[in-house]
Amino acid sequence: MLIENTVAAFGAVLEIKILLLMALGVLAGLIAGAIPGFTITMAVVLTLPFTFGLSTIEGLSTMIGVFVGGLSGGLMSGILTGIPGTPSSVATTFDGFPMARKGRPGLALGIGVWSSFLGGILSAVLLVTLAPQLARIGLEFGPWDYFSLVVFALTITASLAGENLTKGLIAGALGLLVATIGEDQINGVARFNFGTDALKQGFAFLPVLVGLFAFSQLMSDVQDTASARKPLMEKGAKAVRVEHLAAVRAIAGRWVNLVRSSLIGTFTGILPAAGGSISNILAYDQAKKASRTPEKFGTGIPDGIVASESANNATAGGALITMMALGIPGDVVTAVMLGALLIHDVVPSPSFIGDQPVLAYSIFIAFFLANFIMLGTQAIALRAFLLVTRVPMYSLAAVILIYCAIGVFSLHNVEFDVWTLFWFGLLGYTMRVLGFPLAPMILGVVLGNIAEINLSRAVAISDDLTEFVTRPWSLFFLTIAVFSAIFPWYQRARGHKPWTLVFMPLLCLAVAPPLVMMGGVPRPTLGGLLVAGGLWLFWQRARSGWKLEPPVEHRAHLEET
Amino acid sequence: MRRLNRDTIVAVILLLFCGVLFAASLRIEETTYATIGAEVWPQLILALLFILSLIYLFQSVRAAPPAAATEARPGFLARYRNAIWCYALFLAFLLTLDIFGMLLGGILFVFAALTVLGERTPRTIALHAAVAVVSVGAMWAIFTYALRVILPEGMLLSVW
Repeated sequence: MLIENTVAAFGAVLEIKILLLMALGVLAGLIAGAIPGFTITMAVVLTLPFTFGLSTIEGLSTMIGVFVGGLSGGLMSGILTGIPGTPSSVATTFDGFPMARKGRPGLALGIGVWSSFLGGILSAVLLVTLAPQLARIGLEFGPWDYFSLVVFALTITASLAGENLTKGLIAGALGLLVATIGEDQINGVARFNFGTDALKQGFAFLPVLVGLFAFSQLMSDVQDTASARKPLMEKGAKAVRVEHLAAVRAIAGRWVNLVRSSLIGTFTGILPAAGGSISNILAYDQAKKASRTPEKFGTGIPDGIVASESANNATAGGALITMMALGIPGDVVTAVMLGALLIHDVVPSPSFIGDQPVLAYSIFIAFFLANFIMLGTQAIALRAFLLVTRVPMYSLAAVILIYCAIGVFSLHNVEFDVWTLFWFGLLGYTMRVLGFPLAPMILGVVLGNIAEINLSRAVAISDDLTEFVTRPWSLFFLTIAVFSAIFPWYQRARGHKPWTLVFMPLLCLAVAPPLVMMGGVPRPTLGGLLVAGGLWLFWQRARSGWKLEPPVEHRAHLEET
Repeated sequence: MRRLNRDTIVAVILLLFCGVLFAASLRIEETTYATIGAEVWPQLILALLFILSLIYLFQSVRAAPPAAATEARPGFLARYRNAIWCYALFLAFLLTLDIFGMLLGGILFVFAALTVLGERTPRTIALHAAVAVVSVGAMWAIFTYALRVILPEGMLLSVW
């Protein structure tokens, strides 16, 4: 079955037109990812309008190309100028830039490119093998479980999105509220349309997303006149020859780091809301801890680049696993992907891979191929990037603004969508200025309908609301939602407040009961192990006299992957 | 009088917003066939938003009042001048879309935005005009001819 579907998907994707579209997408992603101030999300959002006229496979392949390219693009500016193109490649600069300054920019770029490629390929393999398994687990979910999963996704997004959890949660609730405007999907009753016909249909997803994210981002980019008028990069980057052979040799001797970082990246991506901006730092930190020479990290050693770049590309595969198997976006970029699928009348869910195997596997294959294309087009992208960096931001912003309007209009050919773009652009910018993270709001808009439909189904099946805490999966998601809500306080207080010492042991003990309730053998065993782990942590801390240890600072931010 | 901080004002606005929408939610049509009414989900979210806004208000009031500025900061208009200009120009573009259409309106918008945001020497103004015509013209052509999207023509071009 797996082989049959894979072969059929290869047949669907291996068309000249799709490969060309993917190559264009990867190139666009590489260049956009390399420009500081541009984000991968923005690149994917701006690609979406071009995909309306394409078939589902063509459109999604193009967007996956942009996604993969964007994740790899950040390394170019990070290594050559010390300014990471995207938050996903922040840790790349720690060693990439020093290596370039030591006179080996070609080697640094080579290690970055090949680590990105290999991290992507490893996560593609995991995507093909894990997504159908996760979908099988997803088939166990009832509406209660789905509702609780959405609650967890929104909570973790809010807790990772910024300094202030309350603001993150408010943004998430606002997103859910936006999704309620217009006719409700269950009863067909108009809500909050205030007597207008235009609002009866509700807001289309794309104009809301482009307005909230791209429009407001552009306004932030041009806020300061002096910096908006300067070229994108003042520290001029010079063209270098990528040392492929030396890079492959360097990575071959660090394959353990590569595999570990790719796994960290993939599993970070699987978590709803956690993206490449987190995984690259986590992987770098783990590589440093595992190294025999941790003091050399930050001085320009290959290990630092391998860890960061393999992890951030692997995150894409992880995020796609969750989206494909459960219909829940793994991060903001996959939220856009989910929106694109919905525009093409495809609704990912646990039955999606079984019902539409060719399309599902085509997405897997497109992700796989995009990594090869990224490898082949990096040299071209590097030259294009050097040209683009001479352009001032205000020129790009003005042109992209009108492009947003044209793209949004082309969705339904109605002016109302352009007005939606304007109002949500204004709202997004205001929220940015006031310090509200936008990622929870975007996820709220995407997940609002899913949450409402599942709540309605749950109540229709049984009016016993205790089902939300007596069903194992629902209880599992609600438990981790509570812990993820406390996480920002834990992160802030770690090493200073005694209660933080019981956070992790309690988490282990709290998630164990739902796993035991699931029945079978593996899950109760895992639950038992977690109980043992939790008790061991308690014992360890008691033995050390509940001594507070200074934390390692890695404050993760989801916003603007 | 203690100076209200920005967060307090935002929290109050959010609470008022919740009140207005809750009132609007009471006017949502009730159906006899639904197991869960169309108003229930929005009201749940509004209740959540209300509680969160109250917490936000409490946090903002408890927080220290903003310290007096030690160095001169640009005023609101100066700080957000570029963004205000862009939104105003975009609004003008939208209001005149029926007259100028996407092509002419787009060119005018890009030219005006570039000129407002960038330097205003004769050379750069000419460059802005060229960038506006080429970029919007190219996008218009791609969407019209390659993607077959019928973009608003505008009264001017349709008469002409």
